[in-house]
Amino acid sequence: MAGSSPPRRQSCQWASPDRSSIIADILVDDRNSEARHKSLLESAKKEHDRVRLEAERVYQQHMQKEEQQRLLEEKQRILEAKRREEERIRLEEHNAAERTRLHALRAKKIELPPTPKEPEPPKAPAPASIPPPVQKVLQAPSLATPINGTTAPQAPPTSTLFGGKKTMITSQLAAHNPFGAPRPAPASQTPATTQAPTAPNTGGSSLGGNATINGASSQTKPGQAAQAAQSAPQPSTPAAPDRYTVIHQNLKILRKFMIDQAKANKALKGRMGDMRREIRKCVGQLTGGVGANRIQQASIINLLREAMGNQVGSAPMDPSTFILEPRNPVQGALHNEHQLPSLFLYLLNIFAKATISQFINEAGARPETADPVGVCIAFVFSDPEFLWRGASLIDILMAKFRIVCPVLFGYRGNEKTEQGRARLGWWKDDGRWVGDQQHMDRMTGLGAGFAAVSLRKFANSKKDNPYPPRHYWAAMARIVNTPPAEMSNTQCVVLRSMIQNFEQKFVEFYGTAAIVALRMCLVDFPARAPQKTPAVGSLEVLGQVLKRDAGLHL
Amino acid sequence: MADLASRITAPAGTPAPKVPSAAPEAPVDGPEETNLVDNTYEVEVKLSDLQNDQESPLYSVSSFDELGLPKAINDGLLAMNFKKPSKIQEKALPLMLSNPPHNMIAQSQSGTGKTAAFVLTVLSRVDLSQPTQPQALLLAPSRELARQIQMVVQTIGQFCEGLIVEAAIPGVISRETGVKSSVVVGTPGTVIDLIKRRQFDVSQLKVLVIDEADNMLDMQGLGEQCSRVKSLLPKTIQILLFSATFPANVMAFAEKFAPNANQMKLKQQELTVKGISQMYMDCPDEKQKYEILCKLYGLMTIGSSVIFVRTRDSATEIQRRMEADGHKVTALHGAYEGASRDALLDDFRSGRSKVLITTNVLARGIDVSSVAIVINYDIPMKGPGDREPDAETYLHRIGRTGRFGRVGVSISFVYDRKSFDALSNIARFYDIDLIQLDPNDWDVTEKKVQDVIKSSRAKADYAPNATSG
Repeated sequence: MAGSSPPRRQSCQWASPDRSSIIADILVDDRNSEARHKSLLESAKKEHDRVRLEAERVYQQHMQKEEQQRLLEEKQRILEAKRREEERIRLEEHNAAERTRLHALRAKKIELPPTPKEPEPPKAPAPASIPPPVQKVLQAPSLATPINGTTAPQAPPTSTLFGGKKTMITSQLAAHNPFGAPRPAPASQTPATTQAPTAPNTGGSSLGGNATINGASSQTKPGQAAQAAQSAPQPSTPAAPDRYTVIHQNLKILRKFMIDQAKANKALKGRMGDMRREIRKCVGQLTGGVGANRIQQASIINLLREAMGNQVGSAPMDPSTFILEPRNPVQGALHNEHQLPSLFLYLLNIFAKATISQFINEAGARPETADPVGVCIAFVFSDPEFLWRGASLIDILMAKFRIVCPVLFGYRGNEKTEQGRARLGWWKDDGRWVGDQQHMDRMTGLGAGFAAVSLRKFANSKKDNPYPPRHYWAAMARIVNTPPAEMSNTQCVVLRSMIQNFEQKFVEFYGTAAIVALRMCLVDFPARAPQKTPAVGSLEVLGQVLKRDAGLHL
Repeated sequence: MADLASRITAPAGTPAPKVPSAAPEAPVDGPEETNLVDNTYEVEVKLSDLQNDQESPLYSVSSFDELGLPKAINDGLLAMNFKKPSKIQEKALPLMLSNPPHNMIAQSQSGTGKTAAFVLTVLSRVDLSQPTQPQALLLAPSRELARQIQMVVQTIGQFCEGLIVEAAIPGVISRETGVKSSVVVGTPGTVIDLIKRRQFDVSQLKVLVIDEADNMLDMQGLGEQCSRVKSLLPKTIQILLFSATFPANVMAFAEKFAPNANQMKLKQQELTVKGISQMYMDCPDEKQKYEILCKLYGLMTIGSSVIFVRTRDSATEIQRRMEADGHKVTALHGAYEGASRDALLDDFRSGRSKVLITTNVLARGIDVSSVAIVINYDIPMKGPGDREPDAETYLHRIGRTGRFGRVGVSISFVYDRKSFDALSNIARFYDIDLIQLDPNDWDVTEKKVQDVIKSSRAKADYAPNATSG
């Protein structure tokens, strides 16, 4: 400070003589003389001109800048429009190509030779996340090749599409059958207004639908084309209510119904709680390792068997409220009656609930723990004693998945909006959204859980796979086909955990096609993301890890 | 780069969050509109809903990117599923990474990312072109913890080429070669031995980290050894002290140990993690504790669990009973040594066994993220004749669950006057509301547990802040 004062004082000293000269000016005699007046005017004018010039210059500059900005924007707009147009043209081309191909295929499909066997015979009433109408269609494709026959005729475009595709693939890769019956993402049918650009939905991402990936494996072009066709079925599906949500509601009603029953039925009350806790405990005890879970699985089976025996006299109930599709009695089925003990259905529901909760709580922190739970689910739901009219009741579990992890079923949403979050299955506690760490943990666990359920190998089993791998493929495709603008971190997190630790199983089922699909998931999909969030980044890093640890070059 | 939270906050603090998101997401084609009720446009998430509570120890604005970490380290974090820094990481990292290096004393609740915070500092300070020259030393109170930290360094550093991390714990470092790594994680005794035998070149050490610092600097325990280690190191070394608890007497010593340190401290009432529901079970007598213990596993969804007991004998007995009930159990206590202890804990970490029964040896630091419940089968006591309740140990024990914002449950067993008094003492000390459970009607208890978990899940992301000072 000491240094700064003197100069200031100095400047004052400079100023004062000046000021005194002004005073002198004013006081001087000729201050009203014309000459002086003129000279003052002159200098005022000069000053005025200077200011004006400066102002003009700045104004010019500003205008120039604005003009530049405008030009830039214009250019961008044009580019954007051009891109969109190109996209549209590409789409239309695909569409056209696909249609011709379709015709060709329709013409020749009868002469198809019986195709190679599926790795596992998927189950008939394959659960589909989509409303019943489509479902019959879905059912067919799961039965390997005859698909074409069954599906194509009655089917809305979707199935035709897949039917067509399969004919080409089958010859190439036996494993391909699991491609089964993916169908249009229900995304569009959601409450979502978000899905604004619905039509572009499928096309928008130039990487086609389930179909595309599918095709990509066999022949790139046709696959791409297929995707275009996929956009067709969409309008036809949307209005139907989401059956899974209905099932989920029915399960809630069932739970209340059981509590009421227990009030009147002492024997039931005495047993129900213990059975429920025993199942929860057993699910919690599951660990990795061959044969490690024999005891737990046996006790769960025994409890369900006990419930099926219905010693406690629980009221009978129609199981069809808990499945996607009505079923007719089938020959040779153990349970063809139109009702089952409600305690059995309730415990099956409790079992499903316990596994979902295990996925969320345990696999959320450590995804690798999902696998043994998946094994147990497959084991229980495929047990012939617990089939109803020849098919599993796994829809009970899938309805829960649909509620807690909608992105697996093609639902999308913007994480910044209320409705978007609701659609993504972002949980609320006490009316507040749970924190993002919690949400992402849940999604991690559920993604891993879904993979653990849907990537089960039944090739060496006499039982039918209650939820064959094509569902995995379909779920993956629904996420990967999200147009960049609608991508969410939730999807990335689910996708990542569906893949991590399951890449080997996936590749075993789908061979080269799986590798192409993985490339889409871990390279192309994150590359398209408009924002490089950590969730997106971790997909890419998973790609690196697979390369390093599994030698998988994508 | 905008991560999730910052993007959500983006609507620029305007207190008018109900603004419809700009584009009425309209141009949906016809049929879709049918089942839409009132969502012709979407409502932005309200700020208050986000639990973007600045007080939460998990809250942070910045992303790891913004911390300016090298890409290799950032990729390591992504591979570990770390999405954004926790509060201690966000606050402490810039201080620890700044140059010239500054000492640090940091306190943060259990499971809030302390380890990652100092590991990131260590990795950023290590010169990878000298892979065998020791440059960072990390000290921990137990062999398990040292190995755990070693694993964390390796995992976060998995993309750092040339990174070598060794554990200086008994029976690991080769007698012939000595320490040949850039990062050394060890227990004080072994480290002193290595330095004295001239098998550990400390001349180039840049960072010294002491984890569980209050325990390590306690003069009745490892304090003396730590001081000796420090006296053998370069005087310019950067010292970082970390713990969830810092009792006053230790704090004074810590400040001498790490002079002129930046500090992050917590108040006593802020120490408990809100996401952990703390309950206690009123057992009719000691004998029935076994049965009640087994029943607990049906009440809620449990991944892994840790049971703390007082004696080895009860550990063994509980193990027997629980195995009979179908559980896969590891019992780990002082009777095991060295490699067999490692193997037992690895069983638990890997999930081959899901129940860990242990004495106080493992109360601190051990991080198994899927631990859903901690059971204090015996209330922790200290002092001669176990007369005094041990509040710190209680806190560290229950901190084995509720890791990084997850939900966790702790249930403490009381069965007589003494255990009841001890527990209420601890509850008063931290100002905790302990919820009582009743072993007589399991339907009721189940409902109660579920409700408690639900309500604390809502709080899981919330906990008071560390006041940086």
